[in-house]
Parts: sequence; structure tokens; C-alpha cells
Amino acid sequence: MKKVWNYLRSMRFGILLLVLIGLCAVVGSLIPQGRELSWYVENYPSFHPTLFFLQLYDVFKSWYFLALTGLLCLNLTLCSLVRIRSVVRGGRELRPRAALLPDEVKLTSVGVKKLEEHLLATGCRKNEQGSARVYSKRLVGRYGSFLTHLAILLTVIFGAAGLSLPQVTDRDCLPGESVRLPDGAEFAVRSFRSTDESGKLDYASELTIVLPDGRSRSGEISVNHPMSLGPYKVYQQTYGTAGSVTVTNLENGGSDDFLLPEPAFLTLDNYNGLWVLAVYPDYYLTPDGVITPTGSADGDYPNPVYLLQRSEDGVQTQEAAFPGTVLEVGGLSYRFNAPERYPGLRIKYTPAIINTLLFASFALMIAGLYITFFLQPVLVKVDDEGYAVGGPKPEGMRLELKELLGGYERGE
Amino acid sequence: MRILFFAAVALYAAAVILQFAGTAFKKNKLLKASWLVFLAALAIHTVFLIVRGIVARRLPLSNQFEFANAFAWGVALMLAVLRTRLKSDWLSVVAMPMALLVLVYAALQPMEIHDLMPALRSAWFGVHIGSAVLAYAAFVIAGSIALRYVLAVKKGADEDDLKLKQMDYLSYRLVAFGFLFLTVVILSGAIWAEQAWSAFWTWDPKEVWALITWIIYAVYLHQRLRSKKRGLGMAWFLIIAVPVVFFTFAGVNTLLPGLHSYG
Repeated sequence: MKKVWNYLRSMRFGILLLVLIGLCAVVGSLIPQGRELSWYVENYPSFHPTLFFLQLYDVFKSWYFLALTGLLCLNLTLCSLVRIRSVVRGGRELRPRAALLPDEVKLTSVGVKKLEEHLLATGCRKNEQGSARVYSKRLVGRYGSFLTHLAILLTVIFGAAGLSLPQVTDRDCLPGESVRLPDGAEFAVRSFRSTDESGKLDYASELTIVLPDGRSRSGEISVNHPMSLGPYKVYQQTYGTAGSVTVTNLENGGSDDFLLPEPAFLTLDNYNGLWVLAVYPDYYLTPDGVITPTGSADGDYPNPVYLLQRSEDGVQTQEAAFPGTVLEVGGLSYRFNAPERYPGLRIKYTPAIINTLLFASFALMIAGLYITFFLQPVLVKVDDEGYAVGGPKPEGMRLELKELLGGYERGE
Repeated sequence: MRILFFAAVALYAAAVILQFAGTAFKKNKLLKASWLVFLAALAIHTVFLIVRGIVARRLPLSNQFEFANAFAWGVALMLAVLRTRLKSDWLSVVAMPMALLVLVYAALQPMEIHDLMPALRSAWFGVHIGSAVLAYAAFVIAGSIALRYVLAVKKGADEDDLKLKQMDYLSYRLVAFGFLFLTVVILSGAIWAEQAWSAFWTWDPKEVWALITWIIYAVYLHQRLRSKKRGLGMAWFLIIAVPVVFFTFAGVNTLLPGLHSYG
């Protein structure tokens, strides 16, 4: 049992897990993930049974990938627990322990003097330990590895929470309308634009959020600049284009503007009226004069055309309209305007604490790595005969002193 | 502006040729000339990046051409700093061609300046991509040192020789530097992705390969620091890791479409 325990917390097991996670990641990047199963049957005709069996179409949610990640967390937890003891205890004992190290290099008395001068000149603190002098600096560096591993553990845990806990709702919302969620939170779009003041592409919506408890916030969201209130965060996710029609009642003169993202039947009596089927960005005329709508590669609407179906006295006829066209059907006048854009919002609900904890883990990881690699502890025991280098990462100091004192070494 | 870029490429190429000739014929004058030409190339390359940044009114890091330029510049700058600090020329023969290789890749990319797309207009742009430049450059230089180490051992140098130990240690320090910055790349990318795409992590191929690169160098660091592995084996490890860095940098964008495909 102890052997199993020791293996679970060992670096060897940690590296094995990292390598296996890396291999899964390679497979997950080479095989497109999360598509319809029929896509894999079509594109991997002979391999798809194995692909389905091993869940290679969704590697990062497969049981074995989650198991590997769980085991990595276990490994990091156990190794952090072991380290915390040695980090706390070891701190007090570093210098006395270093004083007991046998000399690894014997020096002449001139060499010893030069060494001690060098250590003091490079900022080391001198500490007398019996007949030996222990020089040390940057001992904070011994915490680096522990902090880094702890931060990786926390990042995996809070990262998993950050990926799995949020409830995401994607909604299109026309300017002037609002999205209401089941809990009562309301997101009203006042306006939308697709360029900034200088004419550069920039999608932005003027928005007001009202939470069920009455708190509210107004402002602009754009790509990279979501807006938060309480547990909600609203993103400028996509945009769409809606037909715009001004409908006037010919009898009383009353009129209304309609934005139509979907097909709609505009009528007074549900019998005579106009079906606005779609609005297309562009069109071309066939030699016999037929209008054929087309799409556009860049999302612009250079020559918009409306596709309509007139319904009049039971007779259905297809026709087209352009911005500026005015039609009259069933007592209504329809004036077609240039299409308008509207935003697609992504509304994310996450407990705010998750992001805070995740960001704290990120900061801890960077700090841990910096301390590990750039604040490496220096611990050198010097006596009248020579010196020994101690501490968790003695290599750099050994090489530095070897180069410095090459001419002062004494043979046995 | 293009003339600055092609002048830099030509000078780097000349420096590499002089370096090879100097090494092959053991002519110090050629090696010195190579170094001077290399410094001239680096200076012109720096001017090119500054001018491009001024013209584009942003950091020149937004597409494969610009990133490859910055990457090659990072490799060249690190080589210049190391050579000056070490007061030794042993690294140039392997590191100079690396800078040239990346720059040749840049020359094959479209060079036009475009406005940043909305998703790239973020305060994280410079941190995320600038850190990637530093990380990748450090890994490539570490791989170059490792290659030089392997060549020296193959020629019969003693692995216990202080010089080889210093080379081995220097490559480790560069990996540590690169690893810190690769971590910054991944974490700043996660924060940025949450702002732009609403999720910290989407398993996009570029993210996945950054993670794979991170895992590879994490394994290296563990082997070196905890298992005390040194020398030839670890040098080979670093050499083999360099193609992974290049794949993460260029291969993913070319072969594996995803959210980073515009890069």
C-alpha cells in the first residue's frame, strides 16, 4: 500500500500523466472535435468504429482524459502536501545542514579569501556555524517549486470549474428590444453599430442590464469588452442582418417600422398582405431579366434585395423589392428600407468567485515560476580548507565558483 | 519598407555564409566579418520592425509575417546578448541559421499591413504575443546550444569539461526563461479568450499545441531538476523539442484551422 501511495505522489507518475495528457491533446488536435457523428463516418470510413470506441471525436470530454486530469490533481495534491512539510521544516534547518556538508572543493587560503570576498560582494549574508561560515542569499527561492505546483493544481481545479459551471445563453436581440431570462434578468439593446468613429470594423451594442434584485447597469459592449453585473457577463458575440420595412395603414395613415430577422407575414386581415421571406446582400440579373439573389463573402450588403410573396385575394405571387421600393397590398403600404444590423448576445452566468480564484491561481503560478527559476537560492558553506555548495539548486553556483576559483583549487 | 526587410534577410544570409566559411576554414577574420554583418542585419531588422509598427499604428505582431519577423528578431537579439555576455562565438554557427530560417518563412507570407480585426484589439495583444516571441526564441536558442553541445561531444569533447557543463546549464536557463514566458502566453491567452470568446479555454488547436509545448518543456525541467539528468540525453531532448515549437508557431496555423487561424 505504501508503495502505491509513494508512486501516486511521485514525480515519475506526474510526468507519465503529463505525457499521456499530451498524447491525448495531440490526437484531439489532429481529429476535428465535437462534430456530428455522421461526419466522422463519412470522413473516416474505415477508422470510425475505433474512433467511436475510443471517443476520439470528443477526446477532451472522454472518461480517460478526465481520469488522467483527476489523477494529475491527485498527484499534485499529494506532492504539494509532502513539499509543504519539507518547505516549512527545511527553512529552519538550511544553514545548520549546509554547515555539515563535507568540502566538495579544496582551496588554497588565497582561494578561500577570494571566495568569501566574492560571496559578500554578490550580496550573500554570512552566518557563522561552528568552524564553518555559511553564505546565503535568495532563500525565498526554496518556496518556488511548491508554489508553482500548488498553483497548477488550483488552476486545473478552478479552470475546470470555470469551464463547466457557467450557463451560457446565446440570443439575437433587435435594437429597441430586450432578452428576458427565466430568473427575471433583462438585457435591453438600445442600439448596435458595426464600425467605430473612424470607420474601422468594430461591433458594439448599447445595452442595459437589469437584475431581478433591481440592480442595473448601462453601457456599451464590444468584441473584447464584455459588460458584467452580478453573476452575469454579456458579450458582443455575433451579428445578423434584418430586413427593415415601414408599413402604413392607407385608411388611417398610422405607420410602424418593422425589423424582420425572420420571414414574416405583414397583413391587416390575415388574408391579404405581404410575406417578407428574406433579404439578400446582393443579386444578379439573368439574361431573361430574372433577379437571382446571392450572398456576400464579407458580410456586407452592397445591393440588398428583398424576396417577397404577395398574397392578394387568394393569389400568391413572388416578387422582389429594393430599398426605396413602395408596394401596396390589402390596405397597407410597404416601404422597404436598407437592411439593419442587430447584435447576437452571449449571456454568461458564472459565480463571480470562480474567476477571482482562477486569476489568483494564474498570478500564483507566474510568481511561483519566477521564484523557482530567477530567485534560485544560494547556500555556500566555507571553511579554511575549501567549500561546498548546498541548497535545492546548487548547479549554477557550482559552475560559477568553479570558473571563478579554477586556479586556486588544491589537489588531494 | 520592403527594402528594409529584404536587406535584413540578405544580411542575415551573408552572415550565415561567412559563419559557415569561417568555421569550415578556421578563419577568424571571416568569423569576425560574419558577426559584424549579423549585427548590421539585426540593426536593420530592428528599424524595419519599428517602421512597420509606426506605419501600422500598432505592435507589428498581428499575422504570420509579422510574428515570424518578431520571432526571428527575438532569436537574433538573444544570440547577440548571449554572445556579448559569454564573450564567445561558439553559439553563432547554429543560432544564426535558425534566425534566418524563421525569416525566410516570414518572406513566404503575405506582407500587407491590415487593420487589426476587432478580436485582436485588446490590451492583452502585446503581452500574449510578445511573450510568445520571447518564449519561442528562448526555446530555439536553447535547442541551438544543445545542437552545439551534441556536435562538440561527437567531436570527442569530454562531457565533464567545464565549458560543456556551462553550455548544458545555459540551455537549461534559457528553457526556464522560455517556460516562464510560455506560461504567460497560455495564461494571458486564457484571460483574453474569456473576454473575447467568453471561455478561458476552448481546446482550439493553437491552445492545445501551446499546452503540448508546455508539457514537453515541463518534462525537460523535471528531468533536469528532480532527476538530475544532464548532458547528451537532455541535449537531444531540446533538439527534438524545437520542431514542436516550430509546429506550434507555424504548422498549427497552416494545417489545423481554428480560432487562431487569422494569426
